[in-house]
Formats: sequence, structure tokens, C-alpha cells
Amino acid sequence: MALTAAPAAGARRHGHRPLGSRLRTFGFHAGASALSLLWFAPIALILVISLRSTDDVLGHGLNSVPHSFAPGNFASAWNDGGLKQALINSAIVSIPAVALTLLLASMAAFALARYQVPLRRTLLLVMLGGNLLPPQILLVPVAKLTELFGLHDSLAALIAVEIGFGLGFYVFVLQGFMRTIPAEIQQAALLDGAGPFTIYWRIILPLTRPALAALGALSFTWVFNDLLWPITVLVSETKMPVTPALLGLQGQFVSYWNVIAAGSVIAAIPTVAVFLRFQRHFIGGLNLGGVK
Amino acid sequence: MSSYSLSRRNLLQGVGAVGAAAALGGCATATKSSAGTQTGGAVTLQSDLSSPLAEKAMQALVAAYGKQSKHSLMLNTIAATTYQPLLPTYLTSANPPDIYTWYAGNDADHYSKRGLLLDVSSVWNTMGNYPPAFKALSTDASGKQIFVPTSYYWWGVFYRKSKFAEWGLSEPKTWSDFLTLCQTIKSKGVTPIGLGAGTGNAWVASAWFDYLNIRINGAQYHQALLQGQHAFTDPQVGKVFDTWKQALPYFDPNGTAVTWQAASNQLIQGQTGMLLTGAFFADAAPKGSLDDLDFFKFPVIDASVPDAEEAPTDGLFASAKTGNSAAVLDFMTWMAKPDAQNMWTQTSSGTVIPANPQAATPTSPLAKKGQTMLAGASALTQFFNRDSSDALQNTANTALTNFLQNPGKLSSILSTWQTQAEQVWKTA
Repeated sequence: MALTAAPAAGARRHGHRPLGSRLRTFGFHAGASALSLLWFAPIALILVISLRSTDDVLGHGLNSVPHSFAPGNFASAWNDGGLKQALINSAIVSIPAVALTLLLASMAAFALARYQVPLRRTLLLVMLGGNLLPPQILLVPVAKLTELFGLHDSLAALIAVEIGFGLGFYVFVLQGFMRTIPAEIQQAALLDGAGPFTIYWRIILPLTRPALAALGALSFTWVFNDLLWPITVLVSETKMPVTPALLGLQGQFVSYWNVIAAGSVIAAIPTVAVFLRFQRHFIGGLNLGGVK
Repeated sequence: MSSYSLSRRNLLQGVGAVGAAAALGGCATATKSSAGTQTGGAVTLQSDLSSPLAEKAMQALVAAYGKQSKHSLMLNTIAATTYQPLLPTYLTSANPPDIYTWYAGNDADHYSKRGLLLDVSSVWNTMGNYPPAFKALSTDASGKQIFVPTSYYWWGVFYRKSKFAEWGLSEPKTWSDFLTLCQTIKSKGVTPIGLGAGTGNAWVASAWFDYLNIRINGAQYHQALLQGQHAFTDPQVGKVFDTWKQALPYFDPNGTAVTWQAASNQLIQGQTGMLLTGAFFADAAPKGSLDDLDFFKFPVIDASVPDAEEAPTDGLFASAKTGNSAAVLDFMTWMAKPDAQNMWTQTSSGTVIPANPQAATPTSPLAKKGQTMLAGASALTQFFNRDSSDALQNTANTALTNFLQNPGKLSSILSTWQTQAEQVWKTA
């Protein structure tokens, strides 16, 4: 509205847009810009710190104006800081964990949404209740159970734990989505002689794709950014994913914040890439809760 | 939507199931595993030395050990912040890592009481040249050795030589000299004393408590106090805080908000005059500025009290459940020798002092001065947490932070501290 009025300078003087409206527009843009700058400031600070040399950060402090330019921080975080191996570990954990969770959750959701499974509501409530439980109280049981199964300090254990803790939420969301698919579609397939698995795989799953994409993108960031379970289940430094590896860049007394900042930037790249690629679905994911 | 209406019965069913899951989880804590019986394979060394310099030094050490030994060793460096809370978990797990970097003294003894540590008396048979004080520190309550010291460092009041020259100051020997010096620095518009007891670094303030107590009441009283043989409400402890109050106007008013690393930075930039800190401070100094740094011994308050110094000792202990004790003992024996300790002190930042008296003396002037100071001390203490326990350290953090912020409430702070400390001593 403001833009269409802009070309005619004379029109503006004659008060096509009252002063109050113009002030409101100005206020909105000024406020929004200030907020987004405030939002961006920590990221900008990390980027600036990641490009300063160690002596600069130690000598002038974290918040000073840069006195140096040292892109080598990225190399030292990547090689000496072990971020390369950590990112590989993160990929080994995140990708199968996300794929398996979605597969299992969609199967469970299919059964719960489309069939009269006994104790259906109880199951869903337990899954939801499990999500309300703070994971911290399960730290010791999970650590001891992985030991019991001989999986302690293995990436397989971490994948299993991440799947287990994600599953309840995904089932809950997916079954809500699947319930919106009209029953007629399934009945038509049934008349054509399709069995339950065919209906799941060829009818329901393709229709659930928007929800799967949104959940996939969300769960990738959750698993990738998780710190609690890796340090609970894993012991060896070489198996640690990227979050504990970043923590490991901190020293007992002294930390080289420039290298840590560079490491954080590297660690953020995969999640940012996933976000940019699946941006549409992220926003779709926000609406998933609204599905009846 | 109606199918989601919560009936009471369904909710109870759900709650019951969650409860059952939690109960099952509880059972799992009692599981015992048959692991830990393997006899060969690589031995793991769990290390909290995660600062880049120290990690590189450890990697070099492990590589050097591997070259001359038939045993293989794998280094696991874990962030210092997660290492401390996870250490009990490591030690009690069914198949724990074999060797750990940790502290001598009560802290190690605490784990040994629970039967978690390997008897390393056989290593000590090869360590005849170590001073008896180290052996005492490495011996647990039952009389066996459980710890092998590798290095130690000192605490001192660090300052910048160029700034002291600019202000026309020299190192103070006594408490009254020190207060006069603080006044001079303050008159130059500079905060005399930095602290750095901010978020996560509250323990830094214990250094002041330790030193004031050692100088006023002596090392023996200090250690007895930390063991629960005296009370924090004693008049002797009150005297410590009365003396502290004399220096309080010279402290950085943001001392309990600024992190230790930021406080060290303030000293390097000349925003504060002095900082009571450990020798690890050198790691926080950029190259070149180290030459301008010096320290002095914490000033004498009562000349009749013999000078004791803080000398935290670092080293190794091992899990009692190790599957390959031959390799563990072999590595610890190697680490006790001068060659290994020389490598360590040279490759790390150069302010640690090797524990083996036959190892090369450190070359940096700072470390030489530190070593001389410790050699002249009548007694050595470790540090608040190492002389007591991590649990008691937490009570000190609360009390000292509170004192620094509200010095007027001293008597109530001390009685709260005593109550909390009694709970720690009771459960220990």
C-alpha cells in the first residue's frame, strides 16, 4: 500500500496517506530492523571472533574490535580440533536415526490412525507422556542398559537411543496427519485387492510426504544438535559427534575462543544447509500441530 | 476430535504405563555386566587436558610411549567441563576406561574408599627418589598407593612488571605493604585486584580463602577445618574474613560476574593491577606478553605462622576394574620417569613443574621462581576442593560468592556455610 503511493510525490503531499499511517509503517520497519539486528548480533559476533587470531583474543579480550585476520582457525578446528571426524560421526548417527525413526513412526502411525488397534488411545497417551518426561531422569538407566546389551561406547547405541526418544513424538504427529486422509481412498484400494502393507506403502505414505519432510528436517536438527545422549552413551573421543567435540575444544582453564567460534560455524553448516533446503517444510512443520 | 477426549480411565492407564517404564528403568541401575574380563588389547587413557596445547603434549607423550613399549595406549581427551561430572560414571561403569588424569590427595582417596582405584604400590617401588610428601599425597586411607603424580604447579599474585615499574611499586612482603600497594594502584585509577569468580568459575575465590587461612591460622588448621574438625563459625575463621574485608575495597566490584579468563585478560590489558591465580595463567597470556608477567608470594600476615603454599599436584590413577593391569602399571611407571615428565613440561605451556626431582628443572624464569618458592615452603596444601571434596567446594562457592557480594552479612553466611558443610561431612 505504501509502495503504490510512493511514485506520485505530489499525491503524498496532498495527504493520500495520513501521518499516523506513515508513522506506523516507519515504526514497524524500524522496530523490525532493530529486532532482527539484535537477533543477528550474536551470530555476527561469533563470525568476527572466528576470524581473529589467538593472541588477539587472549590479549584484547573477546569483545574488542578485531586486530587481526586469521582464517586459519577453521583449519585448526577442522584438523587439530577433530571436527572432521566428529562431523563424519554426526552423519553416521543422524542420517540412519532420522530415516529409521520416520520409517518406524510412520508404520506405527499408520496402524494407529487407520485401524481399530486395541488400547489405541492409551498407546498414544503413553507416547505423548513419554515426551513430557525429562530425559535427564533416564540418563543412568540408559547408560546401564547399553552396557548390559554390550553396546556401550558404540554409535549403534547412540542411533538406537535417538530413535527411541524421537519415536513417540513422531508417531503422535504422523497419526494425527494420517487421520485427515479420507477413508474413501483406503476403501478404494481395499476393493482393488490391496493388502495392508500395499495400502501403507503405496497409498498412505506418499500422501504423508509433506509431514514426513517436515519431521525429517526437524528431527535431523534435533539429533544433530543433541549433546546429552552422546556424552551419556559414548566414552571414546574418536566416536564423539560434533556437539561434544565442540565442547572438547574448551580447555580446563583457558579456552581459545577463536578456534571454538570457528568450530561452531563449521558445526552449524549442516543444519543451516538442511534448513535452507527444507525451509518450506519447516514452516509446514510449524503448522503440523494444527492438524486435526 | 472427540476421540481425543481424555477419559479418566485412559489417563490412569497412561500414567500407569509411564510409571511402569520408570520402575523398569530403576531396576536397570542394578545391572552388573560380565564385561571387563578381557586381558589384552589397547589400554585407554582418559584425559581432561583438553586445552589445545595440553592435548598436543599428551598426544606426543602417548606416541612416544607407544614407540618404546609392547603395549598400546589410546588417548581419549574429554572436555574438562564434562570430565569432572562424568568421572564417577566412568569409574563405576562395567567396562571402564583404564587410566585417568586427576588430582592427588583427598579427592583420589574419596574414590579409593569405594574400591574403585587400582593399587599402584608396585609403581611406587620404582619411585624411590620422590619426596615423601608426594608419597603421602598418593597414599589412600588404607595405606596403599593409588596415585602417580606427574607434575604440580603453584599459585601466586600475578602482576605486570612494566605496570609496577610505571607506578613505582615493588613486590610487597607483608599484608600491610600489600594494602598500601593496593591504595597506590587505586590512586592511579586502576582496579587493584582482579578476581574472575564469575559463572562457572566461583571456585577461584577459594584461593583467597585458602591463602588467608593458611597465613593466619596455618596449614594444619586449614586442613583440619576442611576435614570437619573445626567449624566455619569458629572465631579463627572470622578472623580470616575480617582480614579479607580490609582488602575488599580494592577488589574488582564485578569480580563475581567476570569469568576467570576475562579477569586474566583484564590484567594483561592493564585494567586490573594484580590477580591471585595458578600458574596455568600463562596459558591465557598471548605470546610475548609472558615476559612482562611476574608474581609474588602471597603476603605474610602473621610472622609467627610458618609459610605454607598451595601446590596442586596432578597425575594419574587407574580403575580397579582394568582388564590389563600389566599395561596400566607399565605406562604409569614410564610416566613417573624423568624422560616422560621432561617431554610433558617442555611441550605444554612451560609453567608446570615435573614431579620427579630428577627431571630437568623448568627453564622459564616464572617456573623457576615458582619452584623455588614451593621448595622454601614449610608445608604444601593442594587447593580447597583437592584438600576436601567437590561437594564441600560447592558450599564454599556459595558462601564466598555471597560474602563478596554482601560482606555485611558475614555471620549469617558463615552459619549457613557450616550447616551445609556438616551435611557434606556427614554423607562423606
